[in-house]
Amino acid sequence: MTIEIRNISKSYGDNKILQNIDLKIESGELVALLGPSGSGKTTLLRVIAGIEQADEGSGPVLFDDVDVSDVDLGKRRIGFVFQHYALFKHMNVFENIAFGLRAKPRRERPGEAQIREKVQTLLDLIQLGNMAQRYPSQLSGGQRQRVALARALAVEPRVLLLDEPFGALDATVRRELRRWLRRLHDTIHVTTIFVTHDQEEALEVSDRVAVMNAGRIEQYAPPQEVYEKPASPFVFKFLGNYNLFHGRGQSGDGAALVRPHDIVIHRDRDSAGPDARLGLVSHIGFGGPVVKVELETEDKTHVDVEVTTPTFNDLALKRGETVWFALRTQQEYEYDFVI
Amino acid sequence: MAGAPIAAKTALGPIKPAPPPHPVARTVLVTLAVSFLTIFILVPLVNVFVQAFAKGLDGYLAVFWPPQPAPEQVLSVVQQRKLAEAAVQAGRTWHAIGLTLSVAAIVVPLNICFGLAAAWATTKFNFRGRALLISLIDLPFSVSPVVAGLVFVLLLGRNGIFGDWATHLTWIDPFSLRWVGFEAGFPLAFERDYSGVIFTPLAIVLASVFVTFPFVARSLTPLMESQGTDEELAALSLGASGWRTFFKITVPNVKWALLYGVILCTARAFGEFGAVSVVSGHVDVNDTMPLRIEKLWNEYNNQAAFTVASVLALLAVFTLVAKAAIEWKAARDLPQNQGHSSQ
Repeated sequence: MTIEIRNISKSYGDNKILQNIDLKIESGELVALLGPSGSGKTTLLRVIAGIEQADEGSGPVLFDDVDVSDVDLGKRRIGFVFQHYALFKHMNVFENIAFGLRAKPRRERPGEAQIREKVQTLLDLIQLGNMAQRYPSQLSGGQRQRVALARALAVEPRVLLLDEPFGALDATVRRELRRWLRRLHDTIHVTTIFVTHDQEEALEVSDRVAVMNAGRIEQYAPPQEVYEKPASPFVFKFLGNYNLFHGRGQSGDGAALVRPHDIVIHRDRDSAGPDARLGLVSHIGFGGPVVKVELETEDKTHVDVEVTTPTFNDLALKRGETVWFALRTQQEYEYDFVI
Repeated sequence: MAGAPIAAKTALGPIKPAPPPHPVARTVLVTLAVSFLTIFILVPLVNVFVQAFAKGLDGYLAVFWPPQPAPEQVLSVVQQRKLAEAAVQAGRTWHAIGLTLSVAAIVVPLNICFGLAAAWATTKFNFRGRALLISLIDLPFSVSPVVAGLVFVLLLGRNGIFGDWATHLTWIDPFSLRWVGFEAGFPLAFERDYSGVIFTPLAIVLASVFVTFPFVARSLTPLMESQGTDEELAALSLGASGWRTFFKITVPNVKWALLYGVILCTARAFGEFGAVSVVSGHVDVNDTMPLRIEKLWNEYNNQAAFTVASVLALLAVFTLVAKAAIEWKAARDLPQNQGHSSQ
């Protein structure tokens, strides 16, 4: 199902959470809403779900080109997974997943045998086939997350909305679960939107990323494009570490943003090229596959550089040495735009 | 929001153990607390029972079941009078017990509904005047019950604002439903109705509702607040109706707090004196147990007064045990319920 939202604004009192948001999600896509806390990403998700109402004067929320702005949460046929899962504490896993089926109006409600079969299929899908009788409190975080997903999927939603789905999990489970989510999405092809503040997660899992800042969408593009061609300094900065160089624009008046791994260190001037500058190695930090080198330039600014460990070994850098560094690529912006 | 602080905050939550106090301080504090409880609570409570049994078990039981003379026994006029008097007194005591239970049977369900509605409204919705509503819920706690009773008299009494309407109001006593046989058609009929509000059992119900209103609402509010609305929203998003969400999700989540509130509410409904005293008009038929105790006492019938008081005290002890049992049960359920955000 396609989702389209037009000119959505939302404010609490004077606090503008969302400002004139437009977004179109194609059928079967997996889209990430990425942004720092307070950027409005969760509110946007809740407006799409129907949990929150957009302000007066906002445009419509369209599901398959049908305006659902005035349709109740329960009638939109969405699957919503809450950040802390919101599993029903007093029901076991089976009853949690069956809840949506049992809540259907009598005419549409499947029989007990069908409910059993459906729940068992979902339990197998989330690989918790033998945990039907457990209570939420007896599950690990990752298991709860999967139960919440199965519960949402049980009613065959037209769209799956996930609020910080992996936010409350530890790093290993997180990585595992997001790959699992991607595989799940590739199996069931339901249009999915998930909210995250983790760039890595958004880039790895999604088909397209909407980067949000202060209630607006800064860029909406596939992960590679977002990373390689950031539409604004904000997007560039939010997606990873960076160095800021003043006066490096083509007009000489702008500024440039450079990723630490896009800086090359050379031992001699000739190989470094005409734009190379001098830097004093002030700190070396080992980080497994990459080594983080901190350089201090003549004007006392710090430059963070990341080199691969083999390159680092070839260079045989030591603290206190002076080396040449050059920028491989850079992103230029108008000066006042950056500060 | 982590699970642990919520647990400590709720009325039913386990209390965080305090750091071990200085041994001398501990001894002094424990002695102080124990002697205070003994002098002000335990001794009077025991005294109630001692006085109640002042005339032995027979005397105790005679308050409820006055001795029946054997049919062939010849009685003097004085003896006959005494027996008749005892029967009348026992009748009034039974009536008071019946009225107390009836009032509680109406008041408690009403306040379960009002309390749930109030707690629901103030914790799950944000609206203009929410803070005012929260303070209003607490009002019956801060207002003297006598004032509460007087308010009803001034509103609904003969010269009250709604006095004209209230004095002409006729209402059926729901507890007077009797089997009347098939002669009149429908076999069940109400045998008693009242007119007016003040100085009738209806006023007692109103006053009791007012005084006991905060108990359910107050025991639910902190828990409902800490639980937030996510589970309800999840149920709604799965297509459940509002009622289904309420009865399948909200109520089970607060069942222990609700039961706790109901017990406190019941105990107060049984024991309320001030407000009920004002609106009862001191008519014998409007006596609840506390009012009956006062009358017996005023009639120098101390042993009977203490006997009825002992029944109330037993109800209080029962309440206490039930409350402790619920707290124990809820505490046992709690770690399981609160584990959500811990991993």
